[in-house]
Amino acid sequence: MASMLSRFTDEAQISFDNIVDRAGTMMRPTVRLGVTGLSRAGKTVFITALVHNLLHGGRLPMFKAYRSGRISSARLEPQPDDAVPRFQYEDHAEALIKERIWPQSTRAISEMRLTINYESASGWNRLFSAGKLSVDIVDYPGEWLLDLPLLEQDYRTFSENAVRLAASPARADLAEAWISRSRAIDVKQAADETLARELSELFAQYLKACKSDERALSTLPPGRLLMPGDLEGSPALTFAPLPDLPVGSAPAGSLWHMMEHRYEAYKRIVVRPFFRDHFARLDRQILLIDALQAMNAGPEAVQDLERALTDILACFRHGSSNILTSLFTRRIDRLLVGATKADHLHHESHDRLQNIAGRLVDRALARTQGARVTTEVLALAAVRATREANVKEAGEDLPLIVGTPLAGEKIASETFDGNTKTGIFPGDLPEDPESFFQALESKDDSERPHINFVRFRPPKLETTAEGLTLSLPHIRLDRALEFLLGDLLA
Amino acid sequence: MTREPARKPAAYRLADDEPAEAKTTAMTKERKRPPSSHKVAIVSEAEDQFLNEDPEPIDADAVDSLTPEPAKTPERRWSFRKIALSAFGLLFSLALALWIDNLIRALFERAEWLGWVATGLTAIGLFSLAIIALREALAIARLNSVHRLRQEAEAARDDPRHSKARAVLKGLINTFDKRPETARSRERLKELDDDIIDAPHLMELAESELLGPIDREARAMILAASKRVSIVTAISPRALVDVGYVLFESIRLIRTLAYLYGARPGTLGLLRLSRDVVGHLAVTGSIAVGDSLVQQVVGHGVASRLSARLGEGVINGLLTARIGIAAMDLCRPMRFHAVKRPGIGDFLADLTRQAAGSRSSTDKQS
Repeated sequence: MASMLSRFTDEAQISFDNIVDRAGTMMRPTVRLGVTGLSRAGKTVFITALVHNLLHGGRLPMFKAYRSGRISSARLEPQPDDAVPRFQYEDHAEALIKERIWPQSTRAISEMRLTINYESASGWNRLFSAGKLSVDIVDYPGEWLLDLPLLEQDYRTFSENAVRLAASPARADLAEAWISRSRAIDVKQAADETLARELSELFAQYLKACKSDERALSTLPPGRLLMPGDLEGSPALTFAPLPDLPVGSAPAGSLWHMMEHRYEAYKRIVVRPFFRDHFARLDRQILLIDALQAMNAGPEAVQDLERALTDILACFRHGSSNILTSLFTRRIDRLLVGATKADHLHHESHDRLQNIAGRLVDRALARTQGARVTTEVLALAAVRATREANVKEAGEDLPLIVGTPLAGEKIASETFDGNTKTGIFPGDLPEDPESFFQALESKDDSERPHINFVRFRPPKLETTAEGLTLSLPHIRLDRALEFLLGDLLA
Repeated sequence: MTREPARKPAAYRLADDEPAEAKTTAMTKERKRPPSSHKVAIVSEAEDQFLNEDPEPIDADAVDSLTPEPAKTPERRWSFRKIALSAFGLLFSLALALWIDNLIRALFERAEWLGWVATGLTAIGLFSLAIIALREALAIARLNSVHRLRQEAEAARDDPRHSKARAVLKGLINTFDKRPETARSRERLKELDDDIIDAPHLMELAESELLGPIDREARAMILAASKRVSIVTAISPRALVDVGYVLFESIRLIRTLAYLYGARPGTLGLLRLSRDVVGHLAVTGSIAVGDSLVQQVVGHGVASRLSARLGEGVINGLLTARIGIAAMDLCRPMRFHAVKRPGIGDFLADLTRQAAGSRSSTDKQS
């Protein structure tokens, strides 16, 4: 009942916020761009590169409004929400360009507003539009996105899912400590804070171990156990799923009851406000997928990634809305699926990467079929860290990518020191994504595609004779922009 | 369909910063061919959907039914007619050679110096003829290269590898090297050399950047020519003058359009080009649309408001515009994709406005 009520008040608040937004939009058109993606997918880099290219006149030939010179200027403006920290664009850009390091993983939520001054191509629109478009973008830890599917689950389902996943071969060894400890206790025993904390810590350790590079698993709710933010140590974060819950409801005062209560509190205090404030009212969405890291780690990671994406995408509101309903609800009418880090591959393989990314979200997108949402899959790199080259190998041209691999990255028997420029051939992606997934499932190792992606340092930017730094290079960022914003600037 | 052998990941040390100089160090060249039960590869057409969102805009407007179909350079093939012509041509040349030989011999018999003069004249004549032939051959080759570029551009669109599209782009940039108004576009396209842009988009970019300004110029030329034709035929006293002027103006239009798109066709090339244009128009719709269709489309609007002569002039102007559009198709090094192909409707408004203007001015005078 309580959750019903809170859901109802949530909806009411979302609608109210929408009306307020729409009223403001009359004066100043605003689009809320949802940059979604799991941790390490490159959200922060994408936002930074997008802003940098627009502010500094990057090369965006496929962004039509920009190419035809109709965008007169772009600038950062004070964001609408005073309670959320500002996205530290300047720091991120400086770290990328001057120090050539990628941003640290995001630890807290931040927001910014980019305003584009433009002139419409049609005289009619020029007459009626303000010639300004504000783009609101939110950056947040990707781990938190994993929480959204929890909104639909009660404690029992959550526990069952967690235990079932923990039993899968990829995780069983990592979950061993947590599972055996929780199986040893009686869920109906009296609530004990120390025990609750112990279980919670064991569970969090297991999740973190799953996230390490070797496993690179993705379906790891609840996300705040991985990246607690400002709630570290609070009761709402001190819980864990319990295995083998008996039928019936939790007896009052039991450990089970306490855990269930805290799980509900977690949903109420953490997940729902996060969803309501930042995801319930999006206009456009880009889903960034780091398929390469998952492929590096192996078949389980890829399957896990697919599962996580399907769960997460189901939480968004897709479809186009008409004039009447748009007053109360916002729906995402354009969804771009971006297979990031395309610069880790030669462009010959980009369409294959695109196919694989498309296959990963296939199931998730099938659900949006009824809703009128335009989707597109693109292999992109918000910041291009490599160049391309060829090498003659056994009388055949082998396409290479050239860049500076990060320190500690490995290929074959070679470990890189982070300062040497190296040509890398990461292996062939399969032509047919379906065969790739079949190969992943087969137990036979020789069937599996042999690929090894290496992470690179950000590119060294050349400066012109006058000492001006050129814009950040990218791959298909302009097409992403055209897809996400092009029609609004038409 | 066989599966490509899987290549193993590898790292290469670079001798210096130049990626082209990449040296091979440790590379195991073991290759494996996985079993080949294999589905047909999925070709990523998906990315094109964005591009193809507005395919060639088909305007249902009745006026645009007058727009000629996109013209294609016809395949050159051997036919008996050609063989016969060549055979008789050769025979005629032999006859000519025989006659010259006889002439020179006769002159030598009469006086030696006359013979030498005749020999010298023949040599000079032959030399000049050779140069003319060479120039014509070069011009035809240029015309062919435009045709080839157009075909390559079409092929490059569907190729996932970018190298073909890059080659076409280079060819385009070279073609327009001599046109100063494309300097900025050429520079911008050259800047993109290192960027990764998918082939169809690169072609689209090249078309709108490089050919866009030239298309505008071509359009203006077609419009100017059709205006002239419509005026001259409206006021000319005799039908013969009409025909002569239309012929003159059409040939001139075809020639300038060819120059504009970098073909410089020469005399023979121009002849061939004109023949293609006329042939195309004759095949796709009668060239003398004059009576039925035009009257139907234009008649109600124009003829009722204008005098019959002015209406006729407009129609002649439209025919010239048709010739211009077909010539544009044949001379342009790319087909129309990103840029909208001009249609008769684009010219009709301008022509009728002019005709109406000239009528009102004649009304005032009278």
